[in-house]
Amino acid sequence: MLRRLLSLYGLLFFVFIYAPILLVVAYSFNANTLNMMVWSGFTFDWYRQIFGYETAITDSTSYVDSSAQLYAAIRTSLTVALSTSVFASVFGTALALAVARFRFRLAGFYRTLMMVPMIMPDIVLGIALLIFFITIGMNLSIMTIIIGQSTFLISYVFVTVSARLADLDTSFEEASADLGATPMQTFRKVTLPGIAPGILGGWLLAFIISMDDLVITYFVAGTGNTTLPIHIWGMLRRGIKPEINAIATLMLLFTIVIAGVGLYLRSRRTK
Amino acid sequence: MKLARRKVLQLIGLLGAPSVFLLVFFCGPLLTMLVYSFLTPGIYGGVDWVFSHLNYGRILGWADTRYEKFDPVFLGIFLRSLRLAGLTVVTSLLVSYPAAFWISRMSPGRRDFAIFLVTLPFFVSLIVRLFAWVLILRPTGFLNQGLMGIGITSDPIEFLYSDFAVILGMTYVFIPFMFLPLYGSIEKLDIAQLEASSDLGATRVQTFWKVVLPATMPGIIGGSIITFIPSLGNFIVPSVLGGAKVLMIGNLIEQQFLSARNWPFGSALAMMVMAAVLLLLVVQLRLARRGDA
Repeated sequence: MLRRLLSLYGLLFFVFIYAPILLVVAYSFNANTLNMMVWSGFTFDWYRQIFGYETAITDSTSYVDSSAQLYAAIRTSLTVALSTSVFASVFGTALALAVARFRFRLAGFYRTLMMVPMIMPDIVLGIALLIFFITIGMNLSIMTIIIGQSTFLISYVFVTVSARLADLDTSFEEASADLGATPMQTFRKVTLPGIAPGILGGWLLAFIISMDDLVITYFVAGTGNTTLPIHIWGMLRRGIKPEINAIATLMLLFTIVIAGVGLYLRSRRTK
Repeated sequence: MKLARRKVLQLIGLLGAPSVFLLVFFCGPLLTMLVYSFLTPGIYGGVDWVFSHLNYGRILGWADTRYEKFDPVFLGIFLRSLRLAGLTVVTSLLVSYPAAFWISRMSPGRRDFAIFLVTLPFFVSLIVRLFAWVLILRPTGFLNQGLMGIGITSDPIEFLYSDFAVILGMTYVFIPFMFLPLYGSIEKLDIAQLEASSDLGATRVQTFWKVVLPATMPGIIGGSIITFIPSLGNFIVPSVLGGAKVLMIGNLIEQQFLSARNWPFGSALAMMVMAAVLLLLVVQLRLARRGDA
């Protein structure tokens, strides 16, 4: 009896998690242009419109074309996410290697320090960065977004790579050194291939979080550098429009594919 | 000797650049913010480099000058944020606990998949997940259509722009944060202990309070803290689902920077959030130490 009840609850739990998301997907195919909450038939028009095709929607007088801003926002987001994730991966991996493979007095300090950006409320970090950039006279730009996001994404890569380093047997590295390999050779041929899945995982994580970051970016972007989440937030504030459903569904597809690959890789290597 | 020196050089090579980067762009900004919170706001939105404790005085009660006056509204918003974050923790705990229990009793293969499913929404864009709730809760939304359809209400109920919507939204967004630590400690639960408890005549309720709950306390505390921290300073959820009616400390801070242009006061408010978070972490560390002893 209790077991049944628990199973029923568990199913409700998953409905709670996924129903809202699926609702957005379903309504992105709704043909009703006047009242988006009333279903009036199936259409691909919202998607066709995003990709620049002529649709019935475009002819409507109330329609305001904003696809140019949308493309610009996507471009900015991808530029930022690619730069930030690569940058954070290099620094995060270097720190993880130093802490895991060298014995020095500050190792414990670094381990604690790397936790701080992850538990820091993002609004605090966001405004602190804003004040700092203005005070030192740095203009807000894509560069400040990249720097701002990196300050906390380094931590995420650090944690992911550290976990991998902890699993990696050091005896391979010792054997390599005993057999006469230089430290650089050992690193390139033994350590790096060993931690590569960790770096890849950390990079993917950093990429996704960067693509989705709203708060830090909001404060340090300045005018004219709109990322995708900020663009959508702006659309929401101007009033709910049906095309948001289609944009949201495409974003969903994109993140689920990336996150799915990442989580799949992780589950495979722990087995 | 030579070897040791090479090791040191390698270590510096690895640590050097990231350390300088974090020192400048992480510690630097936080220190600047701390300094700003003790400066005088300029008349036209800038800052005068004159020491002032009145930014804190405006929040906590001792400021009483012509331009800088104590207003209980700020403290009220801070307390409300604490309350909403606390309620978010309680709700997500109640929602996640039975689910974590259920999943921990599954066969290993299904269990991994279930955890994957709980984690996946964390990677879905925050703004998309909040938008979904706007669709559900708005007056013409899904929920109201359903309620009016089955005749519970004849006029749409305003679910949006309320404490309820904000707590619901934050619970929804932070479920993975609560679930994973909870699951971690529930999974470790020793079945033999539960059996022993019921063999010795304890009822299910007694077993839960005396055995299950204490054993899973580390997960409860861990999950609560990492849910509480991002809820407290949140300003996206209240601005999307709470509108102008549910103001949280995060919204107040944002206003100081983007419309009121009073940076020192905004910094002081942010320092209050930091202080609350640090206090929480210190308490947690104390509790953890006492638990070990």
